[in-house]
Amino acid sequence: MPTSPLEVDAFYTQLQQRIVDSGEWDRIRFVLASKLNEAGWSDDLRHRSKERAREMKPLSFQTLYDEVFPVAHTSLPLAVKREILAQIRHWVDKQFL
Amino acid sequence: MTSNPTSSCPHFAIVLEESDVSQKLLEKYASVVNWSVNRYQSVRGCVKRRKVSAPSCGTCGLTLARTFACLHCVYTGCWLDGHVSHHLKENDHDFCVDATTGVIFCNQCNDFMFAHPLNKLFLETKILAEEKYGSLKINSTKILPKEVFKPWVLNEKDVGALKGSQTIPCQARRGLLNLGQTCFLNAVLQCFVHNPLLRSYYLADKHNPKQCKFEQCTSCEMDKLFTEIYSEDSTPHGPVSFLATSWHASPDLAGYAQQDAHEFFMNTLNAIHLTSRGSTNVHCNCIIHSTFAGQLQSDVKCERCGNVTSTVDPMLDVSLDFRGKGNEGNSSENTLAACLRRFTQPEKLGAKYTCKSEKCSKSSQEASKRLTFRKLPPVLCFQFKRFEHKTADKNAARKIDTPIRFPASLCMAPYTTFALEDPEKAGHGIFPGPAGMFDYDLFAVINHEGNMDNGHYTNFARFQDEWCRFDDDKVTSSTLGTCLDSPAYMCFYVKRYLDYKVETRPTYVIARETEALREKEKEKENEKEKEAARMKEVEDALLATV
Repeated sequence: MPTSPLEVDAFYTQLQQRIVDSGEWDRIRFVLASKLNEAGWSDDLRHRSKERAREMKPLSFQTLYDEVFPVAHTSLPLAVKREILAQIRHWVDKQFL
Repeated sequence: MTSNPTSSCPHFAIVLEESDVSQKLLEKYASVVNWSVNRYQSVRGCVKRRKVSAPSCGTCGLTLARTFACLHCVYTGCWLDGHVSHHLKENDHDFCVDATTGVIFCNQCNDFMFAHPLNKLFLETKILAEEKYGSLKINSTKILPKEVFKPWVLNEKDVGALKGSQTIPCQARRGLLNLGQTCFLNAVLQCFVHNPLLRSYYLADKHNPKQCKFEQCTSCEMDKLFTEIYSEDSTPHGPVSFLATSWHASPDLAGYAQQDAHEFFMNTLNAIHLTSRGSTNVHCNCIIHSTFAGQLQSDVKCERCGNVTSTVDPMLDVSLDFRGKGNEGNSSENTLAACLRRFTQPEKLGAKYTCKSEKCSKSSQEASKRLTFRKLPPVLCFQFKRFEHKTADKNAARKIDTPIRFPASLCMAPYTTFALEDPEKAGHGIFPGPAGMFDYDLFAVINHEGNMDNGHYTNFARFQDEWCRFDDDKVTSSTLGTCLDSPAYMCFYVKRYLDYKVETRPTYVIARETEALREKEKEKENEKEKEAARMKEVEDALLATV
């Protein structure tokens, strides 16, 4: 098991590569997107961003992102968060088998 | 920042003007988009499962879950940690692209931008790349041939036809007058007018009332309605003749009583189908069936022997129950997705089934039935069954007011026959075909407020990205959020990517032409015979004189 910060970093990089290359990252992202869509989170975000952008002069992505991000973060449905974290954890555990 | 009609970024506009610079940039752009599509497909598992190495960030070395590519060099990097924008600044490179969405970031503007030529290039590249993965193998190995995407390039004939013609916006909004409890009619008509496939059909003059031979033709009425809506007059229009024609088509419902919007919708679909030229009872390809017709597969499984009997039924819309039999339904499950899951889950039939398989003892078996979507139409209409008839007496019906949450975008993949045949696949989000192949976008919603006897119908509809609320003659600008919060009774979704069959000429056109040819042949034969007869007369006359 990695212990020093440098070892943890290297370990993280390796795990990241594995999860992306194997396609598991995209699969989990797809599941996350459907759950968030069903919960209405995606549409709420889309609506907020659009209406905010409508009034923003001049329109800037970074300003919009900075304003919307906190709301997006806090409005994340807990059940979805738990479920996705569980899937990621399950995959990580499998790497040690 | 000056805004340019082709690009929101003046720096990119300058690039577009220098052909050699822009060509290199756009080629790199197209190759990034291509790469993104191909990588996404291989990772989705529908191609052979093999490890595909993803690019890593040129700054921090982490494998990129979301790739941003510089358009001037081979650098790829992370966005969130600022690595890619740092690279742009350090190297005086102006543009980078988000491989997932095709959106370009300009270093000088320090912002993302929109450019028409880019948008077009993105869609074309994406569609062409995805097409390779588009052939869906259904049960048997039959692959339905599809028309390959070709970007539309104006030819001489097109240029000639467009010369001197006036361009008008493809959108129009006009309120409809309530003619006496006809809000149900107005709501349904607005949903027809905002239906992209119907709009294209009628604006392209595909049903011309001057050439139509049907009496009291509903399709002609629809054409007239489009003419009214797209006319220069923006005052509310009273759909009097449409109403009169609908009474003619369904005499039982004539009169000024409030009708059920869904019932009216279905009757109108049928009426337009019947008044479309070339419509048939089986495999009809009239505008209604081309737009709304799908197929449901019904699988009945004998619980004793496992034998499954499948039947395919046509459908024009989907009626969804609020809750399954028995349970009260908890609040988190009042979503369209939950309704669709209930719709496609196996249902016990009770011990009344007669199994047709030889291995089984035949009658009175336990069986289960399951519905799945075998063929998805370009437009999906969902109805939420809010009016519960407990007894045969219509007046004793009750309205279910439970709010339903429905999305602006819907993926139908998990409810298809293909996905549900292998339920493990469906749960894991591994679907065949290009991304977005099963995606639908909401374009209209019919609302009902009040109770059964004295309720009011209104509707929402969008053109491109802007939503409006329609309340008979009152049309107001609205938002997606307001629409999604409304008390929905019916929802209309349109498929994001349409598939085209290989172009063939309709059988009735071929029949007509063969018939015309045959007539011509017969004419020629008759002429020949007449000539021969005349010649014979002349000969006989000559012989007689000898």
